[in-house]
Order: sequence, then C-alpha cells, then structure tokens
Amino acid sequence: MVRLGGAALPYVLPALDSLDPRSRERVALALTPIAVRMEVARADELSDGAQAVLFWTRFWQDRAIDFRAASVRHLASRLAERSIALRREDLIHVDTFALQALIDALGRVDTPSDVARVGRLSAVLAHITELSMPCPPDASVADARRVVDTWRDFWELHGSEYSALDGPRRLAATFVETQYGKWLAAVLHGGLGRTQRGEHASDLVAQGLATTSFLLFVGLGGGFPLGVAWTRFEQRSHKFITRVGSAIAGSALAAIPCATFVRLFASPRAGLLSAVCLVTITTAAWVSRHLARSTMSQSVSPIAAAFSVSAPLGATYPPFVLSAIVLVELVFRLPGLGRTAALSLAAGDVNAWMAASLALASASLLLRHAADLLRPRAAHSPIVSER
Amino acid sequence: MNEPLSAKRRLGLAASGATLLVLGASLLAPLSPGLQVYARGLAFAVLAGLSITAVAFLVALPLGALAASGPRVFDWALRFACDLVGSLPTVFVAAVFWASTSSVFRFVCALGALRGLEQAWLLRCEIVRLEAEDPESVPRGLGRTPLVAFLRRRMSAALGPLFVSASFSVAWLTALDAAVSQAGLRPPSAPPTWGLLLGTPQPGPLPALLAAGSVAWLTVALHALFRPPNAG
Repeated sequence: MVRLGGAALPYVLPALDSLDPRSRERVALALTPIAVRMEVARADELSDGAQAVLFWTRFWQDRAIDFRAASVRHLASRLAERSIALRREDLIHVDTFALQALIDALGRVDTPSDVARVGRLSAVLAHITELSMPCPPDASVADARRVVDTWRDFWELHGSEYSALDGPRRLAATFVETQYGKWLAAVLHGGLGRTQRGEHASDLVAQGLATTSFLLFVGLGGGFPLGVAWTRFEQRSHKFITRVGSAIAGSALAAIPCATFVRLFASPRAGLLSAVCLVTITTAAWVSRHLARSTMSQSVSPIAAAFSVSAPLGATYPPFVLSAIVLVELVFRLPGLGRTAALSLAAGDVNAWMAASLALASASLLLRHAADLLRPRAAHSPIVSER
Repeated sequence: MNEPLSAKRRLGLAASGATLLVLGASLLAPLSPGLQVYARGLAFAVLAGLSITAVAFLVALPLGALAASGPRVFDWALRFACDLVGSLPTVFVAAVFWASTSSVFRFVCALGALRGLEQAWLLRCEIVRLEAEDPESVPRGLGRTPLVAFLRRRMSAALGPLFVSASFSVAWLTALDAAVSQAGLRPPSAPPTWGLLLGTPQPGPLPALLAAGSVAWLTVALHALFRPPNAG
C-alpha cells in the first residue's frame, strides 16, 4: 500500500466507508506513511485509528479534485517550466499519482536549461519514489540524460503498478507486463534494455562481439583444417607407434577439460593469442577424433570425410566450443560475450544475460547452418531428393 | 604387433584398467582431502558417465532412426530441438539444469537427454549420408526399408559417430562440470567431483593432475573399446 502511495488513494479512500469500523481503522493506519511522505500530516497525528479515519475522510473530501490526470499534468508542466515551491508541494501532495505526468515532463535533454528542468522534476520524483537519483544544478547534459533514462527505465518496469489497466489493456497486460514481455518490447523498440549498471545492453553486445567473433572464427577456422591435417598425418604414417601415439594424444587433448588448460595458461600475460591457441587446439583434437572414426573403415580421404561430417559436427560442436570461449574469456579477462553472459547470469542481470545469450545463440545458429551448407549433396540420390 | 585386439580382450583390458583406477583411488583417498575428492569424483564420473551414455543411447537410437528414415515431421522436430538446445553454450544449459534440480540423478539424466539429442542428430546425419552414398544396398519394397534390414545394415554401419561421441561422455561431463565450476555457476549443494578439482583453485596440484590424467585415460580406453574390429 505504501509503495503504491497516492496512485491507490482514488480507489482506497472512496471504499473506506464500505468497510466495518475495525477494518476501516486498520486501513487508515496503514496509509499513515503515505500521509507523511505527502507532507500532509505527521506520524504522531495519525497514531490513533479513529483519528486516522477522520483525517483520511476529510482529506478525500478536500483533495479528491486534485487527483485528476489533467490537473496533475498541468502542475507537472508548470514545474518543468519554472521552479516554484508551491507547485512542488502540490505535486508531492498527490504522491505517486503524479508519477506518469512527471516522467512525461522530463522530455529531451540538450541544453543547460533542460538540465535544470530535469533537476527540478527529478527531486520531486526522488521524494515520491524514495529512490536516490540526484541531478545537481551543475550536472552535465550527459549526466542529466542518464538520470532521465534511469527514470524512464523505472517507469517501464514499474509503471503498470501505478496505472489502472482497463479493457483491452488489461488483457494485453497478461503478456506485456511480464518480464519477458517487457524485454521483448524493448527489443522491438530497437534496444535490448538496460543493464543493472545502467548501460545499454546493445552497447554491451557491440563491445563483446568483436572478441568473441574473433575467437570463434579464428579458433574454428584454424582448428578444423588442423584437425583434418592431423588425421591425414595419422593415416599416412607407416609406423604403428606413431599412429597409436597420435590417436592417444588426440583423444587426451580432446578429453582433458579445456578448464584445465585454461587454468594452466592463466597468467597476467595471457591474452587473446593464448585464448585463440586453446580454442584452436581443442577444436583440432575434437575434429581429428571424429574424422579418424569417419575415415577409419572407409577408403575416403580426410578432406572428403571433413566435408561429409561437417553437418553433424557443425550441429554438435558450436555449443561446446562456445563453452570453451566462455571459459577463456572469463579466466583471461577478455571483454567478450561469453564473459558478459557468465557474469550477468551469476549477478542475475536479466537484460545483460538476454542480450549476450541472444548474440551467442545467433552465432551458434549461424555456424550450424553454415556447416550444413558445406555438406556434400548427392544430386541424383533418391534419398536426398525425397528429403 | 599391428594385429588389432579382439573386442573381448579390449573389454577385459578396459575393465581391468578401470578396476585398477578405482583401487588406486580408494588407496589414495585417506591421504589428503584433495585425494578424497578425487576418489569420490571417480565414482561420480564413472556412474554419471555410464548413466549419460545409457540415457543418450535410449534417446538417440529411436529419434535418430526416425528422423533419418521415418516421417519427415520427426526430422523437422529433431532439427528444431537440436537448434533450440544447441543455441546456447552447453556450460549455461548445464548450469541451468543444475540450478533447477536438487537431485544429482535428475541432473545427470537431463544431461543424458541433452547428449541424446546431439547423438540423435549425429545418427540421423550418418544414416542419410550412407543412404545417399549407397541407396541400393538395402532392398526397398514399396518405398519402405524392411526393419530387420535397416537395423542390421544401416543402423550398424551408422553407429560409428555415436560410439566416438559415447567414448567422450566422461570427458564431456567433466569438461562441463569444470566449466560450470570455473564460471562460478556451480550450486553450493553439488557433490565434490573432478570438475571441482579442475575448475577451481586447489591447495595442491596432485588431485587435479590425477583427475585430468584419469579423464584422458578413461577416454582413450573408451575410444579403443569402441574401435571397430576392421579398423587398421
């Protein structure tokens, strides 16, 4: 009730008379913190139930007319134009009922006069919501913009709690007002929401994309041919001991978790090059083991086998290689999408996690479909033509 | 020297090797807490690896066969399922599985099902590839392959990639476990495993080295065990 504040009063106060005396007193006492925040009474004045009921009954008789959207919007626009203490008080008197009008009045921030406007409105918003969001008079335009963005994010997240939903809006709210619905709305509006630290999630993706793409494409692009060359060497070798040694080394390299190598190579000097080498070697070992099996019982070259196994490998390997990339980015402190996704998952930052995982999923799907394109197709095969 | 070992001998060697590993671990366990974690991790790796392989085969064999040779809707559904579960790094999927279930058995079964989907796709691709390469090798009456012929010839020939994948089950599980631990996404209630030794800093390097060596050894043994008898 206290959180809903003035926005709930037009629904609660008219219904007060319909309650039995005991319930009425309990509700009136529960509204005391709102009266204190609205600066219309002190806590000690409303400590008694009967007094509280009398206060709120009189309050609604006197002030019901103030709780109208048009008058509150007018007050907010006047405060945005000029700083007058009385207007500020009038807005504080309607409490959270004025939130939407105040958020709308924030407007664009381009000049120092806009900064002053944001400062005035932000002070009232901070008082009503009890959230600390200072915008001092000497704040820069960028700082004021950040404050405005934060208030708008607050409204996007919590606005529905202070608005009455009726008709089709109530029906749409069953989807739109869920966390997923809000995230999807942000995506459709051309962004991916804002992270807990106030950054645009799309900026986070843009920052991490280069590192992760580099690791992914260089690691896979180098690892796949290396795996093919490895299998070719293993098969062409005439010495039994070389073949067995190569097979054991390949299996061991593919088997020992990437985390072990990552920890072994983790040092302040370890960087992108070490990360690329790790991803490349892991890929090469993995590919060589699959190719060794694919070419073992058939008389086909590893290169032909590489093309034929590209579809199944392309389908199963990307999630695994992306896990390796998450690890190297985390341990080597590389600013990539994997690190962003892991840290945001651990911190519960939904927008950052959704943005990073959406980008990783796109990369994974891209790889899978690219690998499928490499697969040779038998043009005249009845099986292929059926599919 | 170049004669390949028979399947029975390879199975015997793998079983005796695993027994030696378990015996060695139980002897080492009382020496330090790290070695105790190694011994408990070995039990977890072997049991969970077996469970994952079993669940994966149960999922992969019918799904892969149906997607390759059954109605087209199975192919579409398998592709969609693989795209869905494969769209995120496996480490995150495993972390979500682990966080959403309190039971280790359910976690292992969920990983087995995930692995099964991957293997079903491998099987489907291999069957389609074999059919495309040699469409006449199996008699096709009224456009349908007889089930016995399909199982004897197509299925047995297409199991190679599945066996490769199965031989990496323990390694796959340990790699995931280590990655989840290293990313800080491991639930506090999770049992001590090799992933914990390999993914988080330890007081001494011996348990981690033993765990890494054991994973490699088990994988090489499983890889050799699943080697077809006609391989050179």
